[in-house]
Amino acid sequence: MKQHTTVPSDAAQLSVLTQFLQEFWSAAGLPPAETVTFELALEEIFMNVVMHGSPAGRVARVEVTLDLCGGCLTLMIEDDGPSFDPLSLAAPDVTASLEERRVGGLGVYLVRQMMDAVSYQRLGDRNQLSMTKRVRATP
Amino acid sequence: MNVRLESLGLATVVIPEGRLDFGAAAGFQAQLEQVLAGAGSKATGVIIDCARLDYVSSAGLRVFLLAARASQRAGHAFAICALAPAVREVFDVSGFSRIIAVYGDRAAALAQTPLRTA
Repeated sequence: MKQHTTVPSDAAQLSVLTQFLQEFWSAAGLPPAETVTFELALEEIFMNVVMHGSPAGRVARVEVTLDLCGGCLTLMIEDDGPSFDPLSLAAPDVTASLEERRVGGLGVYLVRQMMDAVSYQRLGDRNQLSMTKRVRATP
Repeated sequence: MNVRLESLGLATVVIPEGRLDFGAAAGFQAQLEQVLAGAGSKATGVIIDCARLDYVSSAGLRVFLLAARASQRAGHAFAICALAPAVREVFDVSGFSRIIAVYGDRAAALAQTPLRTA
């Protein structure tokens, strides 16, 4: 089962993408306990794309693809904005005290910890981030 | 996201309901700042009861972090309780459950929060 949708790189589109994911989840009959990883990854990576801006003179486009295959779900987020590899962000110090704790890089860190596999590619003028996790024990 | 407030002695219980995502974070932050400003200089306790919170992202974690830090600086007790499994996972993976006091339910949080009957 595979579905995709495309939205402008605009924070207001987050709710549209979340609904797209939730509808896919219901249609595929996936276990509710695994949904948080994908909702979180969608929000963190999409908002990263939004924050990193658009090419001069136009709003970047963001394409989101969900692909369920053999019990594994892959979330792929592609955009035609400026080149940016979120996996290059330094991991936050998760042992820092309350006073010293910083939030920069936390979203991407959560995604890397909660997904089984995460990879980034720059393909021509597009950023492509692919995230996979097993969501069903049997294919 | 909807937020309810309840007063229990000198403690204020804040009850966020729904999804604390990027879109909801600024509003929730403003409400927590208002609660802390309302406490003024008198020592109090703030308990965030998350029993009805379904989801939190890094934008939401940031709000919890800022509120916990502001409370500590002002001398207020600050605790979080009743995390749903999806929220608990994000708190644990981020390391936030080590720097913010997290309790199983409101009664446990109140019992551990100073000034509850003062």
